[in-house]
Amino acid sequence: MSKVSMTVNGKTVEREVEDRMLLVEFLREELNLTGTHVGCDTSQCGACVVHVDGKAVKSCTQLAVQASGCEVVTIEGLATGGDLHPMQAAFKENHGLQCGFCTPGMIMTAVDLVNRVGAGNLDEKTIRENLEGNICRCTGYHNIVRSIEAGAKAMA
Amino acid sequence: MGVEGIGARVLRKEDKRFITGKGRYTDDFKMAGMHYAAFVRSPHAHAKIRGIDKSAAEAMPGVVGVLDGKQLTGDGIGNLICGWMIHSKDGSPMNMGAWSAIATEHVRYVGDAAAVVVADTLENARAAAEAVVIDYEELPHVIRAVDALKDGAPQLHPEAKGNLIYDWEIGEKDATEQAIAGAAHVTEMEIVNNRLSPNPMEPRAALANYDEADDHFTLYTTSQNPHVARLVLSAFYQVAPEHKLRVIAPDVGGGFGSKIYIYPEEIVCLWASKRLGVPVKWTSDRTEAFLTDAHGRDHVSKARIGFDKDGKIVGFSIDTIANIGAYMSLFSSSVPTYLYATLLSGQYNIANIHCNVRTVYTNTAPVDAYRGAGRPEATYLVERIMETAAREMGMDPAELRRRNFVSEFPHQTPVIMCYDAGDYNATLDAALKAADYANIGKRKEEAKARGKLRGIGLSCYIEACGIAPSAAVGSLGAGVGLWESGEIRVNPVGTVEILTGSHSHGQGHETTFAQLVNERFGLPVDNVQVIHGDTDKVQFGMGTYGSRSGAVGMSALVKALDKVEAKAKKIAAHLMEADEGDIVIEDGEVKVAGTDRKLGWHEVCLAAYTGHNLPQGMEPGLKETAFYDPTNFTFPAGTYVCEVEVDPETGKTEVIQFVAADDFGVIVNPMIVEGQVHGGITQGIGQALLENVIYDDNGQLLTASYMDYAMPRADDVPSYKLSTHETVCPGNPMGMKGCGEAGAIGSPPALINAITDAIGNNNLTMPATPARVWALINGK
Amino acid sequence: MDLNGEEFIPAPRERVWEMLNDPEILRQCIPGCETLEQAEPDQFSAEVVLKIGPVKARFNGEVFIKDKNFPDGYRIEGEGKGGIAGFASGGADVILKEQEDGTLLEYRVDANVGGKIAQLGSRLITSTSKKLAGQFFGKFSELAAQAQTA
Repeated sequence: MSKVSMTVNGKTVEREVEDRMLLVEFLREELNLTGTHVGCDTSQCGACVVHVDGKAVKSCTQLAVQASGCEVVTIEGLATGGDLHPMQAAFKENHGLQCGFCTPGMIMTAVDLVNRVGAGNLDEKTIRENLEGNICRCTGYHNIVRSIEAGAKAMA
Repeated sequence: MGVEGIGARVLRKEDKRFITGKGRYTDDFKMAGMHYAAFVRSPHAHAKIRGIDKSAAEAMPGVVGVLDGKQLTGDGIGNLICGWMIHSKDGSPMNMGAWSAIATEHVRYVGDAAAVVVADTLENARAAAEAVVIDYEELPHVIRAVDALKDGAPQLHPEAKGNLIYDWEIGEKDATEQAIAGAAHVTEMEIVNNRLSPNPMEPRAALANYDEADDHFTLYTTSQNPHVARLVLSAFYQVAPEHKLRVIAPDVGGGFGSKIYIYPEEIVCLWASKRLGVPVKWTSDRTEAFLTDAHGRDHVSKARIGFDKDGKIVGFSIDTIANIGAYMSLFSSSVPTYLYATLLSGQYNIANIHCNVRTVYTNTAPVDAYRGAGRPEATYLVERIMETAAREMGMDPAELRRRNFVSEFPHQTPVIMCYDAGDYNATLDAALKAADYANIGKRKEEAKARGKLRGIGLSCYIEACGIAPSAAVGSLGAGVGLWESGEIRVNPVGTVEILTGSHSHGQGHETTFAQLVNERFGLPVDNVQVIHGDTDKVQFGMGTYGSRSGAVGMSALVKALDKVEAKAKKIAAHLMEADEGDIVIEDGEVKVAGTDRKLGWHEVCLAAYTGHNLPQGMEPGLKETAFYDPTNFTFPAGTYVCEVEVDPETGKTEVIQFVAADDFGVIVNPMIVEGQVHGGITQGIGQALLENVIYDDNGQLLTASYMDYAMPRADDVPSYKLSTHETVCPGNPMGMKGCGEAGAIGSPPALINAITDAIGNNNLTMPATPARVWALINGK
Repeated sequence: MDLNGEEFIPAPRERVWEMLNDPEILRQCIPGCETLEQAEPDQFSAEVVLKIGPVKARFNGEVFIKDKNFPDGYRIEGEGKGGIAGFASGGADVILKEQEDGTLLEYRVDANVGGKIAQLGSRLITSTSKKLAGQFFGKFSELAAQAQTA
């Protein structure tokens, strides 16, 4: 067991966890932040993407202890106050989700993408290439791409 | 159309919880004292269980039970059923082998459950599952359907000699053979429809709790049809009587058919919860999902189609072998028969069709309905052979199709279906125009100059949705009716609750169903709550699959709304001393037509509940229920055009454009319909280009993770060009046809027709991987 | 999975034969082999830890030597159970050919895997097998050379 301490969605949390506990398990099981999903066992699907120190991370590929001391933001922490993050709003406005299971990971990836590449540099091809690590089975990606285009504009 | 009525692009009410991480999926639920189940699964394709040594596992930390199939059957839990009886052409009933939720004596596919461990944590359950020692005696196995029918093939079930479940036919064989014999041109093909894994992003899960005090069970589960689950769990598996079992399907992360069925794990969690006295949760991991979620497709067919000298089809003969896997899943028998062969007439006027289907057991995962279910297999066959025939006869593929289109309705096909409405020329014209089909020659030349091979392919699909009426499907062997229920509860303050037997797992019912109320009464959709997925709240329903929630589920609501409207008008007429026939309800107000007399909707509703001043003899309250059983299937149809560019150096296909022109009848929310089409087409592109379930010769599943099963990613597909053309469906009050499956049904042949056009070689099987395409280009 | 190969061993054929029948030598050469105990003549029980792709498991199994044809070669067969990781079974035909300054050992390996190893590691079976064969013969040659100089 190890002690971990991190900031999650702006709040400091401390827990004793098993060394082998994944960050995603820590978020879901210890903190009840069930918006972060597990869709595969091999770090392919991206349903578990969160931000660790401002960067998108598949929380199934990182141990909770590795995130100790870090600042973690999950889908639950993306909106500020009562306002949706512009990317969240864009997904709603552009019907960028259907069953909603991949959505938290998609949105967290999309926010990171805009931060990394810059809103002005996001053409469709770039968006599609950067969604390589996020699988959606419902939308066919068409409206996810529209959502990210719109979200990027709103974030600019 | 109001801003929130029928036809409006209303943004989804349900989105807020999903985009903020507040969706509630089965695995998100926790119960006090909850324990975790881990299944011990067969690593062998076929084996006899000689013995199970549980001692080490039972001694491990946190373990409260290690249970096997003999204990399950010993407790009276019944075998899994197949809910659709098919009779062979000799009149004999299908040969169904026994399927126990946990194997008792034999395991018949890799992944078959042989034992289950329940422990206090998931880690402890999994560790103990590893310590269960099962002594297997390996038996000979057979993986491919064609091999399973050969003399001397290993036998899976004593009930099915030669592994044959049924040998079924539809249509007139002699007449079809005669017609083909007299044809001016005959095209013959062998067509394989590749095996797929549905892959909803949320893996299946179950959380079961037995409450001893009330002798009552609760099951949270990833189901598309919780009421059917309760019925089957109760009536056939004897897990609990129906009134002692509550099934809740909360937010469900996609289904695509794979969450219709009641799987062994749900049964085991319920049973184990009572037997061990703890709530039991099981959540599939992705590899378990690949192993045990019902797969789709897997047909091998030989087809012959004959044309007269004018290019008119005279006869169509199909011989299909369908792989059903190791056990018959819930609706598996209907997929390669009534959901498949009845659509072999396509959009065409064909006088003679005959189809023979042999369905066989193999040592692979059960195969059942996956998005489209039988109709993609039929469409692929029809549209591949039409395109091929056109090329062989030197005709424009669009023209050959046009020449054979059904143009008068109703149209009775020789394979049961009676098409009620459509305009196939309209969707073909729209698609060809949007794709600039006329100028493909120029684009091919331009691509050739760059060293690329460009091709274009068509698919004119038809499908049948809203499977019904119940009496008809009952006569064809269905074990259930396929109606739907709806209840409209108007609250005293005028807000409305819709209770529906349909189940939304991505389809947006919370929005589209509310739009019906807006259309009817002018209430904002925010004043309407849609309730579904809980057997304690909704009385009964058949769930969501087969693109039925609009045509059937919404129709039930329309009928319930009719009753609510009639009663509200009576009350309003009484209150305003007007004639009932003069009352109109619009914009949230109840008015006397031609006057300025009116009441607020909420005033009428309150009056219904105070009961102070109601018409003589009227019961108080404003709540109505309806059960709707359609009079016919619905027949969505359309044309898809796909244009590809193949790199001859690598064999890689790029989808340049994909055009869809669909006729879904009346559309409630175009935004949501477009989303359904986008997703369906992408799954179809997945089937045609990427996806393939592969078992090796030993029955080991080689595509058991996203490392090896190629799911379509964002950069595998383009943005789509969609349009719709409306012919009103006469079979239901809404005039709707259904849109959930069309994309997956219509797209694979368009894509393969495009690639074969590009490379000039028709001998291509799905998925068209770069290796396969490259080999064809290079004559390897 | 089939894998063919050959390896030059710097020792006379009879010596190579002896080594191929010596449990202690085999134990040292089989990658990940923790125990190899002779149960009966030409039959051993073994414990081997193997990692194939993302799956690491301890296999308990039996090893048999068959079709002994001194000193030309034999067939060695084995099967192991790796618990939830699945199972592995297979064998190798080994042919020894005398050469001037040693022995040419030819082998034809056939192997099957099942369960989780097949589900997650199938793409890696051939490359892993090649690697394991390389490790086996590398060590075998090394021991043979030591024996020669000793």
